[in-house]
Amino acid sequence: MKAAKGILAASTFALMLGSSPAWTAELRFTVWTGNEAHLAMLNGIAESFKEKHPDVTVRYETIPAGDYTQKLTFQLAGGNPPDAGWMMEDAASTFANAGVLEDLAPALNAAEGYDLADFSEPAMGLWTADDKVWGVPFSTSPFVIFYNKDMFDSAGLEDPLALAEKGKWDMDKFQEVAKALTEANGKWGFEFKDGQGYDTRIMHALMPPIRAYGGDVWSNGECGFDKPEAVAAVQQLHDMVFTDKSIVPPGENGDYFSGNAAMTINQISRASLMPDAGFNWGIAPLPTGPGGEAPVIGQAAIVVFAAGRQKELAAEFVAHMTNEANVAEMAQFFPPARNSVLSSEAFTASNKLIPAEQMEIVGDAIAKGSVLPSHERSPQLLAAMKPRVDALWRADANVEEALKAVCAAIQPQL
Amino acid sequence: MTARGERAPWLTLKMREAMEAWLFLSPTLVGFLIFFVGPLFAVVWYSLTEWNLLSQQTTFVGLDNYDDALLRNPDFWQVVRNSIVFAIGLVPLNMALALGLALALSRRFPGVIFFRTVFFAPVVTSAVAWAIVWKFLLQGEAGFVNQMLAGIGISGPNWLREPDWAMVAVIVTRVIKMVGLNMILYIAALQAIPRDYEAAARLEGASNWQIFRMIIWPLLGPTTLVIMVITTIGSFKVFDHIYLMTGGGPENGTLVLAFYIYQQGFQFFDVGYASALAMIMFVIVMALTIVQLALRRRDT
Repeated sequence: MKAAKGILAASTFALMLGSSPAWTAELRFTVWTGNEAHLAMLNGIAESFKEKHPDVTVRYETIPAGDYTQKLTFQLAGGNPPDAGWMMEDAASTFANAGVLEDLAPALNAAEGYDLADFSEPAMGLWTADDKVWGVPFSTSPFVIFYNKDMFDSAGLEDPLALAEKGKWDMDKFQEVAKALTEANGKWGFEFKDGQGYDTRIMHALMPPIRAYGGDVWSNGECGFDKPEAVAAVQQLHDMVFTDKSIVPPGENGDYFSGNAAMTINQISRASLMPDAGFNWGIAPLPTGPGGEAPVIGQAAIVVFAAGRQKELAAEFVAHMTNEANVAEMAQFFPPARNSVLSSEAFTASNKLIPAEQMEIVGDAIAKGSVLPSHERSPQLLAAMKPRVDALWRADANVEEALKAVCAAIQPQL
Repeated sequence: MTARGERAPWLTLKMREAMEAWLFLSPTLVGFLIFFVGPLFAVVWYSLTEWNLLSQQTTFVGLDNYDDALLRNPDFWQVVRNSIVFAIGLVPLNMALALGLALALSRRFPGVIFFRTVFFAPVVTSAVAWAIVWKFLLQGEAGFVNQMLAGIGISGPNWLREPDWAMVAVIVTRVIKMVGLNMILYIAALQAIPRDYEAAARLEGASNWQIFRMIIWPLLGPTTLVIMVITTIGSFKVFDHIYLMTGGGPENGTLVLAFYIYQQGFQFFDVGYASALAMIMFVIVMALTIVQLALRRRDT
């Protein structure tokens, strides 16, 4: 009798142990935001996933942006992969080629009412190969010019938005107003993205003018830094830094957000810093050049890791997170890649800090722009470029020779 | 009647003592083997492979990584040269300054504790805070250091943006940060020298310089050796300071070995190559230490 009781208790316990995990699951999802508003929105999306999977919870894990790709790699290498997560554009090719990402196409095609073709084709470029989908972009954020309206007014200059509307906002005008602003206000005319244009943001500093001149940093395995378009573009920047002295030079601080520079280049997520800045401001498209309009886009996508234990469930969650309703919800922070959302009034009205007519600039840039360059060997390319680009940022540098040296250094890796 | 008389002991006393000793040692020993000896051998093995951390593909490549670093990679030799320049700049400056401060602060006088604290404080300051403050002070034209220099009519360089000056800047700021530690070691050594020697020498009419040269300096020998060895090793291993101040730039001017290893392993995820570089650095540091010890032995 005693023995029978024991067996019964043991088997009940075993049943409980065996059955409970099958009904509850937790998805671990890595992000690089710690912003409360962002996390509240993401948790809302996880909550709505419960309608279909009541026992599935999603835990968002914040890893600071600077360490993100590195820490993610260690989690994968250490056999502790998250189920899903955000991924930056510069890591896309490296991760996809290493075979660590799960193909999302089956889950997206199986999801009810999910229209994959609604995503703009250029925006999907980085994340698709043949019929495989390695990631779904959630933020397709073009670079825009942020300007200090007060400084333009006090210098008696037309602001970039007004110039753009008249079709006069080009690279020459940009150089001219930057110089005039510096002379009139005694502050820098322009600051590179987050003041990091000579260090971690080399690409963000060089890419927009090079594309405005009709060039590219590389394409189809060929370096473009030494092409005439790129040389002309970088020469102009060099003149602005060392001759006009209108761009914050290497080794100096001139923060736009604290009123020490009249213009900067950034994405609209930085608008969240503006209410505390204490000056009137606006956003405008990037200046055009001989190559016409060439908006540059920074991108991030949602991916599922192939080594994850719950990859089917995670892929299903990605399909849920990027359906039309949720993309529209996320658009308040992250410009979408879905055409239906981009063209909606809800999108232009979604950002409380940026007026609708300026949000149209963002939508326009997403439609016409191209994403920052990515490469399977991005980290190696940047490291090889860095010392040669450092040599470029000397007052007496020969721009053409310096750019030839950049190409000599990176061509073998391309 | 003792237990000994009832039956033959299972273990002799000597064996039992040995076993107890091993048991007491085992917690440390296991940790030492797992976390120190294990990784040391693992690095040797990794250095013979091509291991991509991301794709988890490992291929045995023999000595290829060493071959590439030593014979085919021009960056490697620039990195080694930078490390040597850093060490040659840092070690003598650090030791001379530490000895000078120790000589000044080893005697008792009012305020001596205050001065020792002032010079030791940077050692315990966070490396991050130290680097941020110095980066701010060493800005181009607007930086505090250059403003001061401009005040006396000198146009200072753009410290952290010109390769040669950047090396000078990282050496000097590192010396200021770490000199306090060596100063304390020298003070302890100076205070251990009996005062009678100096008193006797003075009776014989020795000058201050003669006392230092003939008595104090030789007696500081063992301390000087220890300081030289640890400062040299430390200078070859420097990482945080470079990472925070210059990121190895500009133009790779401050790219030193430890930072280069980090770059290969943790930015390019090429663990095999990084391990080979780490082994080369190990050999260099080991060789330098042996040379220093040998020189010391020859002197005594």
